[in-house]
Amino acid sequence: MVTLEEVYSKVKAILVDEFEVEADEISMQSNLFKDLELDSLDAIDLMVTLDKELEVEIKTEEMKDVQTIKDVCNFVLGALNNE
Amino acid sequence: MKRVVITGVGLNSPLGNSYEELYENLSNEKCGIEYISSWEDIDHLGTKIGGVVKDVDFKLIPRKYRRSMDRVAQLSALSTADAIEDSKLSQDLLSSVRCGIAFGSTMGGNETLFEYIPEVKNSMSFRGQNSMAFLKIMSHTVAANLAQMFQIKGRNLPTCSACTSSSQAIGAGFESIQYGKSDVMICGGGEGLHYLAGGVFDVLGAASTNYNDNPKEASRPFDENRDGLVIGEGSGAIVLEELDHALKRGAKIYGEIIGYATSCDGNHITTPSKEGMKQVMQTSLDDANIKANEVDYINAHATATHAGDIAESNATFDVFGSDVAVSSTKGHMGHLLGGCGVVESIICLLALNKSLLPKTMNFNKLDKDCASINILSENVKKDIIIAMNNNFAFGGINSSLIFKKFKG
Repeated sequence: MVTLEEVYSKVKAILVDEFEVEADEISMQSNLFKDLELDSLDAIDLMVTLDKELEVEIKTEEMKDVQTIKDVCNFVLGALNNE
Repeated sequence: MKRVVITGVGLNSPLGNSYEELYENLSNEKCGIEYISSWEDIDHLGTKIGGVVKDVDFKLIPRKYRRSMDRVAQLSALSTADAIEDSKLSQDLLSSVRCGIAFGSTMGGNETLFEYIPEVKNSMSFRGQNSMAFLKIMSHTVAANLAQMFQIKGRNLPTCSACTSSSQAIGAGFESIQYGKSDVMICGGGEGLHYLAGGVFDVLGAASTNYNDNPKEASRPFDENRDGLVIGEGSGAIVLEELDHALKRGAKIYGEIIGYATSCDGNHITTPSKEGMKQVMQTSLDDANIKANEVDYINAHATATHAGDIAESNATFDVFGSDVAVSSTKGHMGHLLGGCGVVESIICLLALNKSLLPKTMNFNKLDKDCASINILSENVKKDIIIAMNNNFAFGGINSSLIFKKFKG
């Protein structure tokens, strides 16, 4: 069973490595768009990268309500644990 | 018609990353061609050398723009940033409807293309593909990405015609301003080094293969011992501006564009046409309303292929005779494909402003089938007034630009 902390750690690492976000700007409450200045294309690519690294398939239309890092983590966690 | 001047220059080439560096390296007869070890094990790729751009920091491009750029667009972005800074264009002017862009490359980003297509084709699935791949591959990737990065809102003219991409871009910008459609046009082109380009010319028997152990002597335009072109990479951007507009804001002026022509042979897809080359040079002279004997220096396309150099030297002889100074600078850096037109135009500006007519690197003895034009085998220091830059591309596409020293 994957934990929320493990998913958060992975999401944070991807944001730092792939999206060049400063690590200290990232928290569970960070809003992808307002706080981290990502956009909808980045959100798609974040999910694509998570799919590659965690093998969790997330369709673009399923993530339209995702706003915060916590939303991302919960979404991934739900998808992983449902599998 | 309006007069058009150049008010900003930026470049990234195997022979330097600025106007001054390019001047120094041409003056010192440097060569930017080297052995490419990563090409060593590619089967049936006979050419193992290329002109490489060094000392560039792509991290200078903010990630939000860099994310949709392959190497060709990233190099072009650095050159364009330098040209804009050099020209001291304000953001308000840059983002006005009177400022546009014309920029080209042979094709979109090769590095991404070579990752994306095999992955999709082998898996027959788009799972795992990110949103950026196409934006890096598409044919107008450079013009589109630059417009986004520099917030350009006027006309956008992608000119993707291989070796004439950036000279056609300059021509398109020139005409945009001449006809009053724009006051400022950012013009140029680029190419990112990839073994695809080497392989394409190798298959055609047009790439140099005999000098892999001696890269500095490989690219030998017009020389009897030439054995084909050397692929290179690079980018350049120049800011074109309507003369009164430039004078009004006190811009530095590198020179004036007084003539441009582009044409096609309408004949063979790869075989160079002497008649097509003659026609475009003559049409450019007509456009500038000058005689052939008024041209002081010609930067020839001359890639060091067997057929191309013969056709071009004969076309040049027919139009200009054997007096005008001619050189090809592809011996110094290889063939920059989409980037060659603008970088070689910048060399024409150096000729006008710094009185340097660069030699043709590795030119020792004229091929017996080339016409006896005045090919420079040594650097010449001479004050000149008019320089021409010629470029020719696959598909029989021809271009000719004429630059004149600006005296105020």
